Amino acid sequence: MSLIVQTLSDGLVLGGIYALSAVGFSLIFGVLHVINLSHGILVLVGAYLALIVSTALGVDPMLTIPVVMAVLFAFGYVYQRFLIQRAVDRSPLGSMLLTFGVALMLQNVMIWVFSPDMKSITPSYAFASFHLGLVTFDAVRVSALAASLVLLTLLAVLLKYSALGRVIRATAQQTLAAQLCGVNVRHVYALTFGVSAAFAGAAGIVIGIILPFSPNDEALWTMNAFVVVVLGGVGSPAGALLGGLLLGVVNTLTAQYIGPSFPNVTMFLLLVLLLLVRPNGLLGNAFSASR
Amino acid sequence: MSRRDSRALMIMIACAIVLAFGPAVLPPFYVRVGQLMLYSAGLGVAWAILGGFAGYASFGHAAFIGVGAFTAGIVESQLSLVVPMPYLLPAGLAAGALCCALLSAVIAYPILRLRGTFFAIAMLGVSHVCAEVTNNVDFFQGSMGLNFPPIAPPSVDPANFFYEVYLAGALLVLLVAWQIRRSRFGAGLLSIREDEDTARMLGVPTERYKRQAFVISAVLTGMMGVIYAHSLGYITTDSVYRDDTNLSLIVYSLLGGMGTLFGPVIGAALLVFITQVILARLLDFHLFATGLLLVLLVLLAPGGVSSLLKRRRPT
Repeated sequence: MSLIVQTLSDGLVLGGIYALSAVGFSLIFGVLHVINLSHGILVLVGAYLALIVSTALGVDPMLTIPVVMAVLFAFGYVYQRFLIQRAVDRSPLGSMLLTFGVALMLQNVMIWVFSPDMKSITPSYAFASFHLGLVTFDAVRVSALAASLVLLTLLAVLLKYSALGRVIRATAQQTLAAQLCGVNVRHVYALTFGVSAAFAGAAGIVIGIILPFSPNDEALWTMNAFVVVVLGGVGSPAGALLGGLLLGVVNTLTAQYIGPSFPNVTMFLLLVLLLLVRPNGLLGNAFSASR
Repeated sequence: MSRRDSRALMIMIACAIVLAFGPAVLPPFYVRVGQLMLYSAGLGVAWAILGGFAGYASFGHAAFIGVGAFTAGIVESQLSLVVPMPYLLPAGLAAGALCCALLSAVIAYPILRLRGTFFAIAMLGVSHVCAEVTNNVDFFQGSMGLNFPPIAPPSVDPANFFYEVYLAGALLVLLVAWQIRRSRFGAGLLSIREDEDTARMLGVPTERYKRQAFVISAVLTGMMGVIYAHSLGYITTDSVYRDDTNLSLIVYSLLGGMGTLFGPVIGAALLVFITQVILARLLDFHLFATGLLLVLLVLLAPGGVSSLLKRRRPT
């Protein structure tokens, strides 16, 4: 009994992190209709930046979140404005391949700069843990989950109430209509990409604290983001959270009861099952953009 | 047969006859490069039956290379004591093709409900799942590796022998694609690429056509995979389920011209030449160079190299 509760709670913690790592991907897909295959790389850039900054300044890695987010926001803005914008309104395959090309280049640069070895960020409380009833919580995992939830809420509030959020949502709904109302669509696209990259970077920090990472992990995080978006739905933090939690729970249950070497199989079966039962995704809008 | 069709057929056969003399004149390194070009061209055309004609760009065709290769390997290791050597490759090809046909026919139902990039990534998932199962289920021996019996006749150099086998494979794939392109079925696939909903409304059996194209593409890819496994002689999961293959198949069509018959062939020859001959000495730089090529390709020539030539020509 305590084993299944422990597994479920681990899955929820992992799910929160998946949700944070996928929310940027989902935002870009909802607004720009671009599958950003360099998303995983942005996550890793965040992790490496946090590693550098926190060891250089000797501060807790969580405190580097604002710095990393600012840097990645700027990078995302420029990346979209000068590169992706050129492929946005052409075939979806074009923008997908463009981002894949960038991912390959950045991965190679990362291997040169950081070596292909596994790295990890170790905060001072790395080995602390506490008990709640029968279930054990690691301090790192709990703080990672808390950071994820706070950031997701922040993004949801930003999208819902701020002027920027309104413009982003309007562009996602009807690009042409937004343009007619005086929205500078290119600017909004670039801002959206910046926000997305910033959240990818923040996710990278949280991931770096609980898991080891290397430049070769980028495809894994891109794939995870994709599955989360298909499960939960496009373009909303709530959808990402739902998809992320589901994926996290399924992953830990599989690892616990079927075997640690089959994460993709169960994930994919779940995806196929969902496609057969609810071809439009759990929240009903997962494939609107693919039609 | 229209004049264009017969001209395309004549070009194919003439090229095949000329290329068949390749090993006689080329130095050994270029025989290897030629093998790789023919293999890539065959795969590229097989991919394009679905991805180019019907517009369903798959990001996971390595799944069928792997399934074909491992099926053939397992079947042949059972048969190698019973069946004489010359019949092993046909037996392996048949087994690999059958297995790919079954797999693709089953997954076609859920997968082909997806369109565009969703289909592409879902296929990537298929390829990862097949790799994972092959690697972790002992029966397939994916992590240990699988040996293939040497099938080249003792009097012939294996490299030259496999060059000719690849050539035959690539020619077969091209002939199938050519036949599809000029048939009613091919026209239906093109209409799916242009506008699937309209095509369906006008009475094109889009679901059936898509499934058929998927299965044909998978079977041909699997057969190329069987030949590839034989030419390697020893395969593991990682040597056949490769993500760079998944990517390259798209790039061949993109480079040569999406949806054309010879586009993937031109793209494959070009890319193999660039990566194997020009960049051969820069291994550390490979990933970066491939990425840069991809970025430049999308930005500068989204219609492929052939569209660049067309634009230059005054009309």
